[in-house]
Formats: sequence, C-alpha cells, structure tokens
Amino acid sequence: MKNKRGYLQISFAWLFAIIVGGIILFLAIFLSTKLIRTEQTSISAQTGKEIGVLLNPLETGFEVWKTTSLSLPTETRIYNKCNNNGIFGRQIIQISQKSFDKWTETDIDIGFSNKYIFSEEYVEGKNFYIFSKPFEFPFKVSDLIYITSASEKYCFIDAPSHIKEEISVLNQKNLFAEDCSDSESIKICFQGENCEINIDSYSQYVEKDGKRLYFEGDALMYAAVFSEPDVYECQVKRLMQRVKNLALLYKDKANFISQKSDCQSNLDLLKLSNFADALESSKDLSSVSFIVDEVKEQNKGVCKLW
Amino acid sequence: MVMKKGQFKIQQMAFMLMAVTLFFALVGMFILVIKFSGLKESATALEEKNAMLLVTKLANSPEFSCGEAFGSSKANCIDSDKVMMLHENIDKYINFWGVSNVEIRKIYPKRDSTEICDLGNYPDCNVIQLRSKELAGYDVSNFVSLCRKESLDGEVYDKCELARIMVSYLKK
Repeated sequence: MKNKRGYLQISFAWLFAIIVGGIILFLAIFLSTKLIRTEQTSISAQTGKEIGVLLNPLETGFEVWKTTSLSLPTETRIYNKCNNNGIFGRQIIQISQKSFDKWTETDIDIGFSNKYIFSEEYVEGKNFYIFSKPFEFPFKVSDLIYITSASEKYCFIDAPSHIKEEISVLNQKNLFAEDCSDSESIKICFQGENCEINIDSYSQYVEKDGKRLYFEGDALMYAAVFSEPDVYECQVKRLMQRVKNLALLYKDKANFISQKSDCQSNLDLLKLSNFADALESSKDLSSVSFIVDEVKEQNKGVCKLW
Repeated sequence: MVMKKGQFKIQQMAFMLMAVTLFFALVGMFILVIKFSGLKESATALEEKNAMLLVTKLANSPEFSCGEAFGSSKANCIDSDKVMMLHENIDKYINFWGVSNVEIRKIYPKRDSTEICDLGNYPDCNVIQLRSKELAGYDVSNFVSLCRKESLDGEVYDKCELARIMVSYLKK
C-alpha cells in the first residue's frame, strides 16, 4: 500500500514546473504566431508599396503605350480598390500572398491619389503584365494603368485596324488581336454578342458581366475591358474629379497669362469643370464629351493653354 | 525558521523559471527591435525609390507639363505659368504625389541671389516652391526646361530656361 502511494505521487516541484513550463510554452507559441502574422502583413504592405512605386515610370509624356512585367517570388493576389472621398479620391491596393497553401488575410491599404489602376477585383499569379495609356479629356488627365495576370489571355476579335496595330506594337504576351484559336482566352468581340466581353464602338460601351460600361476614347475602352465594373465606375469618377481640378487650374492659368501678356483665351473651362463634377456614372461621359470637344476646338493658336 | 529541503527546491526552481522567462522575453524584444528597425529602413528606402522614380516623370504629369502649349510636345518640360497657379492652389494637392515638397530652381540664366517666386515678383525670380517651406529631409533632382509665355511689343512668344526640379521626402 505504501509503495503504491509513493509510485503515484507527483511532487509539488514537478507540478509547479509542468504548469509554469506550460504557460511559458503557450506564450512562446502565441507570440511566435503573432510575429509571423505581423511579418506577413509587413511583407504585404511592403510589396503593395513597391508595386505602387514601380508604377511611376509608366507615367508617359506623349501619346504612347508602355508595358512592363512584374514578377513576384510567391503566388500573389493584387486587390484593386478605389474610393471617391476627398478632392481626388484614392486608388487602393491590397496584397495577399500564399503562405503554407493559404492566402494571407490582409487589411493593409496602400493608397495613392495620383494613380488610376484598372483590373479585375483582384488579379492572381506570380507574373503580371502592366501597361499604361494616356487619357486626354481634352488635356492630358493621367496615364491609365491596366494590370492583367500573365496566366490570363485576352483576344480581341474583329478589332478595328488601329486597335490591331496598337496591340501588335505593344507586344504584350497575353494580348492577341489576330490568332484567337486558344480556347482558354477571354474573347472580346467588336462585332457580335457571343463573347465574354462585347464592345459596341458606335454607342461607345463595353458589355461585361451583364453591365454596360460607357467610354470615351481608346484609353477608357481598354479600361472597361480589363476592369471589374464597380472599379471602372469608381475610377471614371476619380478621373472626372481630376478633370474638374485641371480645368480650374487651366482657367487660372488663362487669367494669369492674360494679365501679364496679350494672350486672351475664352475657353469655357468652368462649364467643363462643372460637368465633370456632376458626373454620376460612365453613362454621363457623353454629355461631358460634348463640352470637351468644344473646349478642344477653342484651344488653338499661339496662346494654347496645353 | 529553518528552511526545509523541499521548500528550498521550489524556490530554486521558481527563480530558474523566472530567469528563463526573462531570458526569452529579452531575446524576443531584441528580435522585435531588429525587425522594426529593418522595417523603418525599408520604408525609407521605398520613399527614396519613390522620389527617384517620381522626379524623372513628374515633369510629364499634367499639373506640370508643357503639353503642346509651347509648340510640339516636349519631354521634361514644365509650364511655369501653370506651376505658379498650382502653387496658389497647393492645398488641394497635399499628399497627391506622396512627397513632402517639390521645388523648381532656375539654373540658367544664372542669378546671384535666391528669390522665391510669388505672384508679385514672377517671372523675375528663380525658385518656385510648391509648398511655401524649405525642402526638408532628403531630396533628389532632375534637369528640366521651364517655359512660359512672354510678350514684347504686343507680340506673344515662348521663353524657356534651364531648371532643376527637386523632390524632397522625409526619413521614416
């Protein structure tokens, strides 16, 4: 009986060591997990900022396309978000990377006021193609940036000759305008309605996911093709926020140079600014475009403003 | 009063465990300090990279660029009349380019003194500060042409000078 009791007995020292040791181990594991999560968040934030910084060289001076590729070490999702708050709204990107076969959760927003990115809600992969095209309305407003995953192919069917030429000059590996035999490519039709994305060049809209996205000019047409509809609508509003402020800047410039030189410009820039400000959705673009054509016509001669 | 052997052992173990915990806590803190200083360094490096890439392209952004106002399109050409108006409306553009300040400094023709431009002395001045403060932190620069409209005997002509655009960013 005595032996049995002794055999089962755990001394207080052992009990104390087990409990405290357990607590230390629990704390160590808990803190390590926290640290790993913080590290993942920091990598996501850093990658997001780096992508944004790398988009700077895509700002062009003239009517040209620019393309570049982006390779990341791990499978990455680039989330494209946008808001219209403030004077210029904000372009937001979020990065989520695959870690132990799971996508890291991220709520770190990397924001830019001077960038306009058009893409699906998120683009996924290790390699991405990024290209840009200037948007003029009637002055240069910004360079629109289009991000696509290298694993997604886009094929433009029955495209007008200038689009075909642009795509061939751009030489981006996932954009095609001639040979559309690849069954996995996303078909974009200029004539016909049986493709994933249909473009009506006459009425100037792109039909995608059952929604009509209206455009003015080729830069916005590509934007509508490569964008998630909500992102497109938000970015168009942001672009009009910039048009509004640029129109006011040119109006101030016109007044300023008329005081110091003999340059008199009577451009209706206030009207353009008001119309751009009143834009609710891409459907209103045609009404702004009407003023844009007028102003463009007036900006001629030795006192050109832009 | 005399401590039993068991009590002594427990006390010894408690001290040992406290020492071990303290040791790991210190190691953890050390790792965190190194990590976060690395994070600060990479944030500064990104700011620097942003400023360097931005300065080469800022002259082409619509708020600065000449466009076709001075003949055909020119790369790295800044419209100084437009920039003066931008300076007047700079409150709207705070944080727009993600840098702390932008300064344009005329370098040719050379002037002996530094005169900050405002609406009163323009164009007889040589420094346009977008935000009315000195460049702070670090700066990077690029050469540009600075053009404006002038008139002589009722005739309007374009005048271009050589300048440097400087972008400053703060260390994180």
